[in-house]
Amino acid sequence: MFDLYWQAFTTVLMPQNLLAMALGSLWGLLAGALPGISTSMGVVLILSFTYTLSPMTAFVLLIGAYLGGITGGSITSILFGIPGEPSSVPTVIEGYSLAKQGKAAYAMWVYLLCSIFGGLFSVVVMIVATPLIANFALRFGPAEYFALTVLGLSVVSGLSGGSMLKGFLSCFFGLFLATVGTDGITGEERFTFETVTLLGGINFVVAMVGLLAVSEILIEAEEPFKEYKGGVEYRGLMRELPPFSLFRKYWLTMIRSPIIGTIVGALPGAGATIASFLAYGEAARTAKHEPEKFGKGAVEGLMAAESANNASTGGSMTVLLSLGLPGSNTTAMLVAAFMIHGMQPGPLLLATRPDIIYGIFVAMLLTNLLLLVLAGTAIRLFLELNRLPYSIFSAAIMILCVIGAFGISNSVDDMFLMFAFSIIGYFMRKCGVPVAPCILALVLGDLAELSLRRALLLSGGSPLGLVASPISIVLLAGALVSIVYPIFKKPKMLAGA
Amino acid sequence: MKKGEIVFFGASTAFFGFMLIQAIGLMGQGRPGEIGSGLWPFLALGASAVLSVVLLAGSIQKYRRAAPAAEMPTPEALAEKRRQRLTVALSAACFLVYMIAVPWVGFILATFVFIPAFALALGERRKTVLLIAPVLLTAIIVGVFAKFITIPFPKGVGVFAEFSRLFY
Repeated sequence: MFDLYWQAFTTVLMPQNLLAMALGSLWGLLAGALPGISTSMGVVLILSFTYTLSPMTAFVLLIGAYLGGITGGSITSILFGIPGEPSSVPTVIEGYSLAKQGKAAYAMWVYLLCSIFGGLFSVVVMIVATPLIANFALRFGPAEYFALTVLGLSVVSGLSGGSMLKGFLSCFFGLFLATVGTDGITGEERFTFETVTLLGGINFVVAMVGLLAVSEILIEAEEPFKEYKGGVEYRGLMRELPPFSLFRKYWLTMIRSPIIGTIVGALPGAGATIASFLAYGEAARTAKHEPEKFGKGAVEGLMAAESANNASTGGSMTVLLSLGLPGSNTTAMLVAAFMIHGMQPGPLLLATRPDIIYGIFVAMLLTNLLLLVLAGTAIRLFLELNRLPYSIFSAAIMILCVIGAFGISNSVDDMFLMFAFSIIGYFMRKCGVPVAPCILALVLGDLAELSLRRALLLSGGSPLGLVASPISIVLLAGALVSIVYPIFKKPKMLAGA
Repeated sequence: MKKGEIVFFGASTAFFGFMLIQAIGLMGQGRPGEIGSGLWPFLALGASAVLSVVLLAGSIQKYRRAAPAAEMPTPEALAEKRRQRLTVALSAACFLVYMIAVPWVGFILATFVFIPAFALALGERRKTVLLIAPVLLTAIIVGVFAKFITIPFPKGVGVFAEFSRLFY
């Protein structure tokens, strides 16, 4: 165990990996801070460039972008009152109010320290929980894996937003897309229409870039770009360092919120947004010190939202690394990254590639610490970047998308496939069909189908073989609850988000 | 977007219906328990087709209910909608033309022209931005991706290839 950590530290601390960590974190912070770019878009844009990198460098880069995106979403929330990410809405409510009262630097300190504390807390939980869950999951056979992928796909209900039917349509479309290409078992061609481009199947990254990034730019193109002028005055971070007594005063919130964040992050379909709203709501409900300040600049509310927001990353990563289940489209991209480098995330990975898993633990730990430094020193840079012409910024993103799609296999056909997905994604979004379930299904579809077919082969074709073990029954029941629960109980707090 | 939804779900019904027929052609039974290549896509496409039909019916119903009660949109609202559609269509067209042009005129020239064209489509009118940004951005992109990461971008044909070779 100690050897593995030592090896992981020495690998992650290699110059190229440190550079990747810094670049990924900066890119993530930028993506999170700019309202036109989401964390998932930030991750998918650099995912295409990880093909040529070593697996460890690629994961360090992607983790930087992921954690940076979650952290960066609150910079514009506090200084401009514009949430960079949906999870930053409570931060806008409390952080921006504080900033308007002339406490911008103070709010930024609280946000940074609580974010990093939440992130580190969840990483510790992840380090402890991942091997335990993975060891338990080693007893899974094809039927259990099938049930696990069904549980993974059941997050559609959480990702669907308005209409669950539309979410399921998107999910089934993704499952269909995953079947395009040569069948892994029989070798038969499916939906290729005799084109060579589709023989190997639809590349995740090409589809993700089109559905997520380009379609987002097209949607943004409809609205004239607003330049974010008139933000609050920000004179520098060193002016108002919060006293340690502040964190002692709100110790219960500081402990409770990361726990909420980590648990919610681990739930399929939930994530940073639900985590920050839940923790914020809980802080408001149980506030002992100055409850009247909630909504008008309550430090406790800001602490709760930020620590839960970042803590969700460790929860999501625990489930991803131990079971191979992505709970959101951002973690689905990390699954794609594993597949790009010839690995299947899940319980076996801890046994076959412990260097990667422990490397990810260490990278998450160090990235959280690095983010404190980077976000603190680069705030001014992000503020200035917010004033860049959006038209040029969009053009740059479009070019990155083209490079990403082309660079995967140096194929012009992939660029056109990406364009087709961007048009599909645009119309899906316009008609209220969420793209996240499609991405998730595209990533999980292959595993779901193979597990089902293997399970049926083992049971001689009897569907009862799928529910022969208690683990399968529990997982399928969990999937059922995950689908049905949101129908009856929508989180009220999110209604206005 | 009610009319748009009807068209979208109509098109998705037709698409999934067509693909479903293709999936039926893939159905087959081999060894006991082997479900063949067709069953899984058949299930996914069948569910997609059913959901598309349900959503199409829902959209038609919503449109019928809303149509008599709906107020006529103001000329300003109509003009705004037209502007939005034009911007998106122009942006998408720019992007498509860019991708078509890349193999023929090479990555550098296509990118250099695409940046101001796309910015113009988005409504950018500041001359300094339109003049400086393409030079800077193209230089950065070529420097990072063609020189540093060495992605073998298309060089174009004929004289364009000669031009591209000057840079990468």
